[in-house]
Amino acid sequence: MLLFALVLVKITRYLTRQVTAQKSLVNRINRALPQTQCGQCGHPGCLPYARSISLGEASNKCPPGGQETILELAELLNEPVRGLDPAHGQFRDFSVAVIREDECIGCTKCIQACPVDAILGGPKLMHTVITSECTGCDLCVEPCPVDCIDMINHLAPAISHTTPPYFDLRSSLGVNT
Amino acid sequence: MSTLKQLASKFLGHDSVFARRTAGGIQPPSFKEHSLRSRIMSTPIPPQLTIPIGAESSGEITRLVDIGEQVLKYQKLAVISLSAKGRSDVPVHAPTSGVITSIENSIVADHSQQQQLCINLTVDGHDKALPLEPHTNHAQLSSADLVSLIRDAGVIGMGGAGFPAADKLRACSVLPIEFLIINAAECEPYISADEALLRERANRVVLGAEILKRASAAQRCLIAIEDTKPDAIAAIKQALQNEASHQPCCELVLVPSKYPAGSEKQLIQCVTGIEIATGQHPTEHGIVMHNVGTAYAAYEAIIEGKPCISRFTTLCGQALKTPKNFEVLIGTAAGFLFELCGIEANKKQKSIVGGSLMGSELGNDKAATCKTTNCLIAASSNELQAPKEAQACIRCGYCADACPSKLLPQQLLAFSKTLDTTQLLEHGLLDCIECGACDYVCPSQIPLVSTYKQSKKFIKTRRHSLEYSDYWQQRFQFRQYRVKKEKDQALSRKLNAPLQSMQAAEPAPKGQNDEADFISKEQASRDIAAAVARVKARRNEKNK
Amino acid sequence: MSALKAGAPFQHSGRNITQLMQTLMYALLPGIFASLWYFGFGILINIAIAITFAVLAEAAMLRLRNRDIRSHLGDKSALVTALLFAIAIPPGSPWWLVALGIVFAIVIAKHLYGGLGQNPFNPAMCGYAMLLLAFPLEMTGWHIPFEVITEPQPTDNLGIPILTVEREFLSPLSWGGFKQALLLAFPFAASGVIDISDFVDGLAMATPLIEFKMAGKSALLTARESGASLFARESETAWEIINISYLLGGLFLLYKRIISWHIPLAIIATVFVLAALFYAPGSVAIYGTPYLHLFGSATMIGAFFIATDPVSAATTRPGKLVYGIIIGVSIYSIRVWGSYLDSIAFAVLFGNFCAPVLDQYCRPRIFGHGLRSKSRPNEAPVKRE
Repeated sequence: MLLFALVLVKITRYLTRQVTAQKSLVNRINRALPQTQCGQCGHPGCLPYARSISLGEASNKCPPGGQETILELAELLNEPVRGLDPAHGQFRDFSVAVIREDECIGCTKCIQACPVDAILGGPKLMHTVITSECTGCDLCVEPCPVDCIDMINHLAPAISHTTPPYFDLRSSLGVNT
Repeated sequence: MSTLKQLASKFLGHDSVFARRTAGGIQPPSFKEHSLRSRIMSTPIPPQLTIPIGAESSGEITRLVDIGEQVLKYQKLAVISLSAKGRSDVPVHAPTSGVITSIENSIVADHSQQQQLCINLTVDGHDKALPLEPHTNHAQLSSADLVSLIRDAGVIGMGGAGFPAADKLRACSVLPIEFLIINAAECEPYISADEALLRERANRVVLGAEILKRASAAQRCLIAIEDTKPDAIAAIKQALQNEASHQPCCELVLVPSKYPAGSEKQLIQCVTGIEIATGQHPTEHGIVMHNVGTAYAAYEAIIEGKPCISRFTTLCGQALKTPKNFEVLIGTAAGFLFELCGIEANKKQKSIVGGSLMGSELGNDKAATCKTTNCLIAASSNELQAPKEAQACIRCGYCADACPSKLLPQQLLAFSKTLDTTQLLEHGLLDCIECGACDYVCPSQIPLVSTYKQSKKFIKTRRHSLEYSDYWQQRFQFRQYRVKKEKDQALSRKLNAPLQSMQAAEPAPKGQNDEADFISKEQASRDIAAAVARVKARRNEKNK
Repeated sequence: MSALKAGAPFQHSGRNITQLMQTLMYALLPGIFASLWYFGFGILINIAIAITFAVLAEAAMLRLRNRDIRSHLGDKSALVTALLFAIAIPPGSPWWLVALGIVFAIVIAKHLYGGLGQNPFNPAMCGYAMLLLAFPLEMTGWHIPFEVITEPQPTDNLGIPILTVEREFLSPLSWGGFKQALLLAFPFAASGVIDISDFVDGLAMATPLIEFKMAGKSALLTARESGASLFARESETAWEIINISYLLGGLFLLYKRIISWHIPLAIIATVFVLAALFYAPGSVAIYGTPYLHLFGSATMIGAFFIATDPVSAATTRPGKLVYGIIIGVSIYSIRVWGSYLDSIAFAVLFGNFCAPVLDQYCRPRIFGHGLRSKSRPNEAPVKRE
């Protein structure tokens, strides 16, 4: 009986080792992170944060990942689920950066800030965000000297009076207001 | 089986197709009798129309008229191009003559409650119309001609989804169609527009159905109606008899009265016995479904040559003195219609667009009716109230019995609370049609549908982010690689520079270079400052 | 999840938990009346004690859990638990037994798991099972109506007040019967009037299943053949009439659509089939007739009222059927091969064990899922340009 148990233990141990060797903890943590590379956790990118978590940092510092990421990481790390650390931001819906193009002065500061090269443009030329590439990381908003970048809720485009519309239909129709 | 059917049809006295039992369903009190007391009325022309031409997300809009322009009734105002979504264009026509005063975003009375771009038309009251091109004998037209005429008339699905009718018909040209089902089930409480339409204008609906049948090249046309609507059934039978000098074009199917019998896939199963698999389209099974209102609009589009400028809308609710069905011009404000029904403003608690189970609350009575506004309810304080505080789920399973998709709402609720996406998907959350039957029966009055909507949204976001995370990671790594490469290149250039200059035997003084650098940097920063100032000035001006 | 807007369905059926619980209590009435008729006021006293302590325990727990006492007590689920528990307990039990059981049911089996909707086990049956394990003697002492007529000499038996009353041919529903029942429930009040030990000793211990084990014949039928009144207390028909009353209540629930037919039918059918399969008419074995298994004991109340408790039962339709079968098999096997007299409590608790798994694996096919691909051959998929 004892022997059998020992054999079982050996086998399971071997198997688990195999699995962990294939997918190291850092990789799995990195997989759970949203990859927006926003740096809100205080690390330059998601992978460095994943490394840091694997070394013991708290896993509740990722606002763009939402509750799901927190749950996933807690399960992965076998930790109790904690709420998002408010020092690192709030949950919010996925949004993308949109440049108000008539106000852009072509300073290229946002281009340098973008972690995924999602902004097109040259010095003194108008810039634009490639919407499909944008991670919604927010990093381009702060460096813009003329504040012409807005974060727009992308999945459900809604118009309110406080934020300018994502597609300005009126101007596309040539209507002056 | 076919002989059995024939026997049954003889026995039942109409050309009957067996209606099959579908899963789930509820039988709420329908409250339709109030609005069916009077006949359909055409509304007087309101002084102002707000004609919706499309939501921001719906597609590209081509405007054909300008502000200040005088337009005539039936004149084409704009075309919504849906080609990006693989659909055909939908034109919008002027419901009456007048002057266009403005074009702006405003709320429209439909389910999404999104703002839509609307053309404001100040009515001149002359109702001057463009000449129409009627095609009294539709048999002369080919199916492609019918489809293009229907498209040009701007006919969309009048049932609620608003899918361009021409597209549904065009899809039929690719696949052979066996059944055209005219959906007259209208199972949702309060809504009686289709029933009223059939009661009074069954002949035209049948003619419209025949047109749709020809346009989609369907072999059989079934008109499916709930068996609790005797007047409408009698009218259809009469119309079919009038029509059927040679051979009846349509068959009448009575479906058992329950909600949601009129949901597309449920009705198809009820009428034909075919269960449309998740992700499949009915046309793949040779079935196409159109609403009664769409059939009527097709009749108008072909026989009268009239574009779609009105629709039938039920006005009901206890705050109205005389609830009734209206033939409403597209763009009429909800409040105008309420006034026509003698609204008691102090009694009205809220307005709802759509039925009591799938409708949504209308924030503003100025909202304009659109082509999919089938019902407007002015609810008094003792009807259709938000449920009291939800109690705990006791897992009674009434919701599972009511669910037409055979889901397990009680389990979905539990998984929604823990955001267990794997289980939610496993339990078919995405098959939920949001009919509200589970909410209706829930003894704990839990807002189930709202919870599922949230979970669906969550899953959608989550899927989106998962799909993208790999890609973003790649992009990020590529950028790091690029930045490093550029740095390396710059470094190597710097290292190589003195070598090159020595080779050129004309070493430029180092300081000069620095100075040039400095000057250009200074210049750049000055430029930027100037640009910032310019933008600020412009913005200030705008704000003024 | 908290900030939900009141959206989509505006219409509601108007059903609520309170209403469900009330209907359930109404449906219990015929059975309670039948028990009252045969067993006297003991059952009413049980109910009164159980309800009192249930409400007190519920209120205390709600207070401790910082819930609104009024609205949560208003759902009447505690009352239903108390009623079911009180019916299960032998009439004439001392007050502390009833109180202990119901407090255990409410506090431990219900609220420690998170209150209404969260308890994995049927609270009433948890309380019953706990008492059965802790106080086997007290919990098996039933007043069997037919014993009354087996007492020829009134003076031979001084033990039980009811018997004393019966001896004088007084109905247990009379004032005398009421007094005796009260004394049974509150023995401390009896001191000086009757010796408590007398009636503790005299408590009969039997359920009809044991007694009738070898009869193999319906007492109702016997009574009819012998021309006795069906409702006479001496005609041994008590359990059958009580079961039929509960059956009627259960049918009322089915008619009102409070419960679905799946669980009761599965239990009854399983018990019936097993009893029919194992029935050996000649032998003196412990296997009773199918009829006896269905109507000779607490099968009906178990099938219609206890196993159908929605919170702890399986909730999917196929799951409910399997759940019913599991309970049916357990009922039969515990009765026949087990050592407990009645098996409803343990069978239901065992069913509760299985319910979450059943919910997970016995699911109906979702509409539009798992269909064979019906797309017709030689046809291009839908193309839309």
